[in-house]
Amino acid sequence: MGYFERALLASIVIGAGAGFVGALVVLRRRTFFAQALTHGTYPGAVAAAALGVSVPLGAAAASVVLVAVMSTIARVRRQGAQVAAGIVLTGGFAAGALLQAVIPGLPVRAESLLVGSILTVTDADIVLAAVVAVVAVVAVAVFGKEIAFSTFDPSGFRAAGYREWPVELLVLGLTAAMVVSALPAVGAILAIALIAAPAAAARLVVPTYRGILLAAPVIGAASGIIGVMASRALAVAAGPSIALAATGFFVLALGISKLRALPWNRVAIPVETAEDARIA
Amino acid sequence: MSVVDALFGAFTVPFMARALLVMLVLAMVAGIVGVLVNLRGLEFISDGLTHAVFPGLAIGLAVGGTAGLLPGAAVAALAAAVVLTWLDRAGIASDAAIAIVLTATFSVGVIVVSRGDDYAGELEALLFGRVLTIPPAEVLPLVGVCAVALVAVALTMKQQLFRAFDARGSRAAGDSPWSLDLVLNGAVALVVVAAASTIGTLLVLALLIVPGAVARLTTQRLWLLFPAAALFAAVAAWLGLAVGFAGSVGAGIDLPAGSTIVAVFVAGYVLVLTGRQVADRLGRPPAAAAGAPPVTASLAATVGEGR
Repeated sequence: MGYFERALLASIVIGAGAGFVGALVVLRRRTFFAQALTHGTYPGAVAAAALGVSVPLGAAAASVVLVAVMSTIARVRRQGAQVAAGIVLTGGFAAGALLQAVIPGLPVRAESLLVGSILTVTDADIVLAAVVAVVAVVAVAVFGKEIAFSTFDPSGFRAAGYREWPVELLVLGLTAAMVVSALPAVGAILAIALIAAPAAAARLVVPTYRGILLAAPVIGAASGIIGVMASRALAVAAGPSIALAATGFFVLALGISKLRALPWNRVAIPVETAEDARIA
Repeated sequence: MSVVDALFGAFTVPFMARALLVMLVLAMVAGIVGVLVNLRGLEFISDGLTHAVFPGLAIGLAVGGTAGLLPGAAVAALAAAVVLTWLDRAGIASDAAIAIVLTATFSVGVIVVSRGDDYAGELEALLFGRVLTIPPAEVLPLVGVCAVALVAVALTMKQQLFRAFDARGSRAAGDSPWSLDLVLNGAVALVVVAAASTIGTLLVLALLIVPGAVARLTTQRLWLLFPAAALFAAVAAWLGLAVGFAGSVGAGIDLPAGSTIVAVFVAGYVLVLTGRQVADRLGRPPAAAAGAPPVTASLAATVGEGR
């Protein structure tokens, strides 16, 4: 398998997995959270490379720690979720850059962590992404009913005697795992595009929960293929072109849903005013 | 190298003096604008602006070299301010939509940079800034951009506060919410422009968010929020530059200046947050919370859980 075919395969696997998990993220309105997660992976990846442990593992650990810090700050009076996310994510970037400067000769490069370099993915990266995607599908197949219930009717879910945190934790864990396995393809900054855009596009054109879970991975995989192809044809960076392809699908879906909402066969409603009656 | 040397002696070198001047002005203006961002809960939109400025920087750099940075960023930022204000007003701006818009603009920027020769180096400079290599000719434009932002906010300050605390009352009193939002987002955009070409697009957000958040922790008096934020920002910027200089020259560790400044900002925030929590635990009977001034109560309503 040449490097290009491998990149294509990686983009399909990662795109489909990110689309699937992204559907849960978007439906549960955790986009901002997921974004903080993606940003948190950067210092973790740098630190893991410095310590000589596996980079995906370090990234996952750091992102979970940062999310914990974030939810603690968010609960302080007069602070709030947005303040917490902003502070955590800029702090994360600064910490990553500082670590990189303090420890010279690291085998990682800032730009490949931040915007991805899909042409240099290894077989292990692809296997990791595939495993995460399969785990996500299995988890949704097993707990799908509970996830759907807690997503669309949180108070009903609680009232029915379920606890919320297991579902929240499951989705959070799947998101973190997916973000980490998407890092090689699109990097820490652009991963959110591959998570949010396919799912948001699917939600605009597909009316059902199950349909969105099916359509989002397809759109994600298609974005991956188109992005890698465009990257080769136009000689531009691969990560951003994947992100732009996903955005293109979202814009397309937005257009379709707007067109569909137009009153194509509007019948004039007969309203007789006093003026009409006088003229008649 | 002694502490005094790091804090004062370092800034006798011309490039450090330039960096200090620009950072002080920038941090204070960002602090003041940041208080309004905090009161209005506009953090995510500010994040969108910082990302949206990136393609402007990249195109400016590709067209006009370093001199093209400021004009390119200014055009992109003002356009983004208009678009984001409109999106917010039209009610389209869900989290997912903003995330998609900002990664899309960011991708455009990276693609423009990736067409150039020195991809990795240029990208890193744009993302993490070049505080210490601000050319002398750029100091005046940067200060000017900050001044415009400050004047815009100062002129509409009373109306902005009214809108932050009582949006419906402000509209009923005849203030146009659309133009107030546009002025505030425009001011944020100008700060982002000035900061993006100095400490980098990824780190700008810290300058806007941290001082406001610290001010909210330290005082409950509305008008004290602004000096508190500006003071914190100025001191943190100064300390950050000094630490970076001491680390690089004294200890021989090559600390990037922009990241060091942001690290000092975040460290200061953590310090104030811990102090506040400890003080709340120790000194306050529960009655203090109930008898908190109305500022807090109405803020909880307007700022709420963010977006």
